[in-house]
Amino acid sequence: MAQHTLEVLVENSPGVLARVAGLFSRRAYNIERLSVGPTTDPSISQMDIVVNLEGHALEQVIAQLDKLINVISIKEILPNKAVPAIHDTQPDYQN
Amino acid sequence: MSQMTGASSLVASLEAAGVDVMFGIPGGAILPAYDPIFSSSIRHILVRHEQGAGHAATGYAQVTGRVGVCIATSGPGATNLVTPLADAAMDSVPVVAITGQVPSVAIGTDAFQEADIRGITMPFAKHNYLITNPADIPRAIAEAFHIASTGRPGPVLVDIAKDALQAMTDFKYPSSVSLAGYKPKSVPDNQGILDAAALITQSSKPVFYVGGGVIKANASRELLELAQLLGAPVVTTLMARGAFPDSHPLHLGMPGMHGTVAAVTALQKADLLITLGARFDDRVTGKLSTFAVNAKVIHADVDPAEIGKNRFADVAVLGDLKNTISALIPALKAALAKNQPDLTPWLRQMNSLKSAYPLGYDKPSDGSLSPQYVIERLGKISGPEAIFAAGVGQHQMWASQFVSYENPRTWLNSGGLGTMGYAVPAAMGAKVGAPDTTVWAIDGDGCFQMTNQELVTCALNNIPIKVAIINNESLGMVRQWQTLFYEGRYSNTSLDSKRIPNFPMLAEAMGCVGLSCEREEDVDAIIEKAMGINDQPVVIDFRVHRDAMVWPMVAAGTSNDDIMVARETAPDWDSQEL
Repeated sequence: MAQHTLEVLVENSPGVLARVAGLFSRRAYNIERLSVGPTTDPSISQMDIVVNLEGHALEQVIAQLDKLINVISIKEILPNKAVPAIHDTQPDYQN
Repeated sequence: MSQMTGASSLVASLEAAGVDVMFGIPGGAILPAYDPIFSSSIRHILVRHEQGAGHAATGYAQVTGRVGVCIATSGPGATNLVTPLADAAMDSVPVVAITGQVPSVAIGTDAFQEADIRGITMPFAKHNYLITNPADIPRAIAEAFHIASTGRPGPVLVDIAKDALQAMTDFKYPSSVSLAGYKPKSVPDNQGILDAAALITQSSKPVFYVGGGVIKANASRELLELAQLLGAPVVTTLMARGAFPDSHPLHLGMPGMHGTVAAVTALQKADLLITLGARFDDRVTGKLSTFAVNAKVIHADVDPAEIGKNRFADVAVLGDLKNTISALIPALKAALAKNQPDLTPWLRQMNSLKSAYPLGYDKPSDGSLSPQYVIERLGKISGPEAIFAAGVGQHQMWASQFVSYENPRTWLNSGGLGTMGYAVPAAMGAKVGAPDTTVWAIDGDGCFQMTNQELVTCALNNIPIKVAIINNESLGMVRQWQTLFYEGRYSNTSLDSKRIPNFPMLAEAMGCVGLSCEREEDVDAIIEKAMGINDQPVVIDFRVHRDAMVWPMVAAGTSNDDIMVARETAPDWDSQEL
């Protein structure tokens, strides 16, 4: 199964890491790798989340992540593709 | 902008949010807020347990469509709200919970009555806050009400440290709320609407699979128009009872584990599910891999994460259901003008099933009282305007099956979480929201013993709800499963509640009228008597037969194709043309 990297922009607010980690845990998805860092905007942090998911499961993770109020946007770095797929608050991956 | 304490800022914010009533109990950490509450225009109803406050807020919200509000102190006050907030999350009910927290310097020190309620509620709350700066209070309250009531509704918790309530601050309530990460889609894309209309005209066996979202979106009238336009059968899930009139000829009833044969079969045999605000819950689908295998799916919902979660959607329509159905009506009219499918054979099949397998029950042969009969009479005598709240179990299923629901927001129950004890406090909240309407709690003897203390609250605060205890002296649904799947080994399901407690005396002790009934010929008179009492809560102990079971039934984990209409009795499929 291919690894996918999600670049997730989140509000730099207390508890946001717990919200994201908790979501993966309660929906029974694994995180392969996770890093959190600042962006040029001090109110926004970036999480890079590597998951071993694809297809339906990946779509569900992104949709559920997007429901977190503190998650601003999700960018999926597709393997072997230069152009990332951008998921904003209304992902259009359903069809 | 004016200077005031954080506590006054909180109460002023709640007033600005339009709150007219809240349910709660004070305690140490929330105490500063209770001083301005004392002089506020907001009616505060002092409950007897925080769980009651939470379910009351839910009942109020379900009936009024507004945000329900509950308030509690830190630690145990807050953790007692966990069950009703989880309940509100599962059933998408807009609730805002305010909790006091220990002073900010004490957070993390295992202080007296400290519990990390933000952390505890994180897995299910739609969102939550921990406020330690009094200046953040108005924004947090405004955001909480916005988040709770828009998109897919849900519970939001605002936890406020005691020192933030005590400190002086400037009060300014935000005129608007903007959240970078929260922009629920209200208006559906036109392409989805056109695709849905096109798919509908290609179907010869469509069925409207209607969920609670239709009620949340206040889209019942639009649904009626859409359903009549197409002339396709309608099923309403447990959360959607009342979204479409039970008396309507297109209505096949409730699908799912205890649904009607016609409703379950309509979903199974359909070639198209027009899914409106439903979420393919396991209690509806049965074994998912065998659910509606020949059906395409149109899935209209406000929550993008529901699309494709359990079942692939051939056409997804994201947006508020009122907008979605309103847009679908003209699109479908145009599509039907070009291509009108013939639904007559499909409707004939479904109507044949509906008349061959109506909901029914056998009266006990020993002459004892039938629980289904009691519930049927409650519905008939109270009429289609009355509001019913149920607990969880057999009585809940019978209340869904044997009361005829004609209007949205008249049926309240804990569908998703399955919270025993929901009925009494939810009915209390419902009655506060609709004081001129008859509100019945149809409760089990097990459920009633979990939350009946709120009848004290009702009696003292002029909230004259009516409670029908369907007393089969058992945890009836669990007992039913023991009968069917555990060879009748009734481990710990006998409650002996025809002996202890004496429910009428318990009711009287709590300031209610307590009545009892165990003969069929007395049922109507005692219900009429209860209907005539409107200055006090009334409790009727209906002492019913113990072994009545809920049918039809699709056993957990099995296919809807294996629906049983009675014990070891499947429908006679050979006599049906399907």
